[in-house]
Formats: sequence, structure tokens, C-alpha cells
Amino acid sequence: MIKNRRIQWIFFTVVLILSVIYLLPIYVMLVTSLKTPYEITQRLYLIPSLKPQFSNYVQAFKRIYPSLINSIIIASTVTGLATFFGGLGGYYLSRSRTRFSKVLFILVGITLYLPYQAVLIPLVQIAAKTGMALTHWGMIFSYSILNIPLASVLMGTFFFSIPRELEEAAEADGASKPQIFFRIVSPLSLPGYASTAILIFTQVWNEFLLALCLSTPETTTVQVKLAEIKGSFVALYNIQMAAALIGVIVPLLLFLLLGRYFIRGILAGALKG
Amino acid sequence: MAKRRSAFIYFIKNWAIFLLPLLVTIGFLYFMLFWTMYVSFSDWRGTAPNYKFVGFKWYKLMFSMDRFWTDFKNNIKWLLIGVLPTLFAALLIAYLLELSGSKKWEAYIRTLILYPSAMSFVVTGTIWSWMYQPDRGVINTIFDVMGLHMLKGRFITNPETATYWLILIFIWQFLGLAVIIFQSSFRSSELQSIVESALVDGASRMRILFQIIVPNIRGGILILASLLLISALKVFDIVYIVTFGGPGYSTDVLAFFMFIATFQQHLVSLGAGLSMIIFLMAFVIVVPYTIYAFRRWFA
Repeated sequence: MIKNRRIQWIFFTVVLILSVIYLLPIYVMLVTSLKTPYEITQRLYLIPSLKPQFSNYVQAFKRIYPSLINSIIIASTVTGLATFFGGLGGYYLSRSRTRFSKVLFILVGITLYLPYQAVLIPLVQIAAKTGMALTHWGMIFSYSILNIPLASVLMGTFFFSIPRELEEAAEADGASKPQIFFRIVSPLSLPGYASTAILIFTQVWNEFLLALCLSTPETTTVQVKLAEIKGSFVALYNIQMAAALIGVIVPLLLFLLLGRYFIRGILAGALKG
Repeated sequence: MAKRRSAFIYFIKNWAIFLLPLLVTIGFLYFMLFWTMYVSFSDWRGTAPNYKFVGFKWYKLMFSMDRFWTDFKNNIKWLLIGVLPTLFAALLIAYLLELSGSKKWEAYIRTLILYPSAMSFVVTGTIWSWMYQPDRGVINTIFDVMGLHMLKGRFITNPETATYWLILIFIWQFLGLAVIIFQSSFRSSELQSIVESALVDGASRMRILFQIIVPNIRGGILILASLLLISALKVFDIVYIVTFGGPGYSTDVLAFFMFIATFQQHLVSLGAGLSMIIFLMAFVIVVPYTIYAFRRWFA
């Protein structure tokens, strides 16, 4: 298949090296998560356990179950809100060419990858003062605010690829912009919505700093719980690894099953819609 | 006058619903940004807010701290070593994938190096802190078994080099993302035809890469570099999970210090000042990105 012998040789060396670097950690993780503490002390990390301990997973699952539910509630609500409002904002940004929309685009661009630290202290204050910190709404509110700019730009890049003729025809028939958006543009942009949703869901699911500062025992997210388990179970690597694997299952499944949308989302983020 | 008014009503009727949520969001974000800025100039320590204006008091303290300068240097290390090697390696891998022309292997490699971008730093940090663990960790154990004792390292327990091992985790996680962005940059039709004509002229593959492809994908490189720089600047989770800033504060970064100062030492104004430094660094990175995005968006 590959014509040049030398390139073929280099190619397979690189494939081999990358395979080791990328498969070793996840393999060790998987194997360790099924071992007994005694087997781990034997330091045969690459050899699978003779009697796999699936009870490790039961134990890990029991510890992180409430936080899994919290993360599912928070990440899916934020995903819904941010993609919906991002879709609206993105449509305006992609269709308007006024000076106002240009200024707005610059303002959005600066907040697109805003370090959370820059707004962390006010967010914690607001969540505490309004009592939102006691419920999931503190985090839902904060993550939504932080993700709407990104969702707008992502959705905007997808809206650019919708043929303008359709909208012009509908406008000639007297349809208003909201009608055009909800009846014509949105249904055609469902793949764009899917990509944006997956990207934002993964991002919120994996976020740690804000979750650490805003979560209470009732609203702890998966990442905060995993960090806690890592801190308190210094020696019990099997439980740590089992819990971490349960924690990545949701985004990893999204990635493996809907990888195409995931990649399109990343590329749209790189403005390559 | 009447004309302008009706144009305004037309605008409201058609665009208000699109514009309002975005305006509220952006307004709120900038409001909070200025709030943080104000906190950095006030005298807030302890749990209760204190908004008394004290000017540069906390900035002066900050700039006189050894820890701040250690963090700043570490942040620069993250920016340079976390980004440049990633860009270079990703460029070569993406090019190699193009040259190989094998769809099957390409799909394998893409999945292989992209799966970490679906995982959190907390999880990758958990795995790698065990890989790196000096006494019983995976890497040293494997070297032991293979008899390669001289390759064994202290990794994250050596204050001199610990930061570099943390950066390696970052590179591991972001390499796949960089590769697919490069690959998509390669695939513009103009570039393909330029490369083909260069091949006909008998140019070597390395020359094609560095003298033809790289200058033609400057935009893609700018976007990718900005993404990586911002991610490297924001890094907090890896440090928190793997070393908690240690040994001493040798792996501390501004983002981590900000967390400690604000939420553990309750020196909130100092934390806000650190936030502003992080924001300013991010701002410098984001401006060229925004200008480029703006030009493409309104082209």
C-alpha cells in the first residue's frame, strides 16, 4: 500500500512507539483495576490478574455513584442551555455584518478561552450569596455562562455552511428571522448541534477547578470525587483505577461511538468548520 | 426619523431573541472580570469580603514573593515546552500519515492518540502519577525487570526536573488533537495541487514539508498554537493531582498558587491579583487568535 520502502519503515516505527506510549497507561490501568491489593504489591504490573476482582468495580462504583449522578445532571443541563443559547448567538454573529456585530465578535473572541481564574472569585461569591451553591444550579449557571461564547462561535462556523439561498427564499415569502432560524436553519444544522453538544459535555464533565471551588458534599462532581479518592486511598491503586475508569466511561463512549462529531467539533473550534 | 425607527423595530423583532442571551452572557463575563480586577486592588483577606481600595498593595507583595517568580518561570516552561515540541511532533506525525496513504492505519492512529482528549486531567494525572512513582511505579518497575537500571528516574520527586515530567503528561494528552488539526489544514485543495507540482519537480519530502506546506498553513498553526498555549497556561488539574505543587513549590504554577492563595490562605485580594496576571497572559495569546478569527469570519 505504501510505495516508498523507507517511509514505510519510518511509519511503522512511529506506529509502534505511539502504540506503546498510548496503550501502556490504559492497559496498566485496566489490569490494575482488577487486581487484589496483594497482587499489586508483587509489582507484576503488566501481567493480568489470575482471578479478576470485579468486586473492585462494585466498591468503586458505590463510592462515586452520587457524584456520577451530579455530573450527569450538571453536564447535560449545561450542554442543553449552552448549545441552545449558543445557537441563537452564533446565528446572529454569522448573519449580521454590522459594526455592532463586529465589536461583539471581538468581545466574544476574548472570552472564548477565558481562564476560569479570571471570574472564579465572583462566581463563588454569587453562588454563595444567592444560595445557588447549595444546589446544582450554582455550577449549571457558572458553566453555562462560561460555555455560551464558545458554543456561539462553534455554531456560527456550522451556520456558515448552510446555503444562503434557502433563507433568502423564505425571507421573500415574509418569514421572520426567528422563523427562518427555527424552521429551516436549525433542522439543517443538527450535526453541528451534535458536535457542539459533545464538545461542551466533555468539557464540563472533565472540568475540575470550578467544580472543586463550587461543589458541596451534595453536588460533588465526578472529577472532584476522583481527586478525593486519589488523595485518601494512597495505597489502594486498584480502587483508584477502577473509579477513574468508571469516571471516563461516559466521555470515552461518546468519543468512540460519535468520534466523527467529536472531531468535527474540535475542528470547528479551530475555525475549520 | 420614522424610517430609522422602523428599521430599529425591524431589528428588534428579528434579532432580539438571538442577541439577548449572548449580550447578557458577555456583559456578565466582563462584569465579573472587572469585579476580579477591583478585588485585586482592595484589601480582602479572610472569608468576609472587604472592598476597601488599597491600590497596588497586594501586587507589590506578589512581585516581592519568591513563589510568584518560581511560578512565573514554571508557567513559561509550560508555554514553551508544552507547546513547541507538541507542534513539531504533531506536524511530523500528521505528515507521515498523509504520506503513508493508508486509511486503515490512519484510523487506528487517530483513535489511539485522540482518546486521551476525551479524558480529564484528573484521570490522566491519576494514571501518570502511578507510572512515575519512583519506588514502586510502573516505569521504574519495567526498567528494573528489563535490567535497564540506569534509565530509572526520580521523575516527579526531583524538584529540578519535576515540572518537565508534568509537561510530558500535557503533551501526551494534546498530541492527538494537534495531529488532527494539522491533517485538516493539509487538506485544502490549493495546497494539494502546489504539493503535487512540487513533487513533479522532484523536491524532497522534507523540503516540501518545511518550504511549501508549513508556510501555507500559517493560519492553522496560529490557531493550534493559541489553543495549546491557552491550555498550557490554564493548567491546574495536573499540578493539583500529581504533585500538589511539590516538592516544596518547585512545580507550582500561577493557576495553582491562585487557588491556594484564595481558597486555602484566604488572601483573596492576592488571589485576584494572580488571576489578573493569568488573564493578561491569556489576553496576549488570544489577541492574534481573535484578529485572525475576525478576518476569516467577516471575510
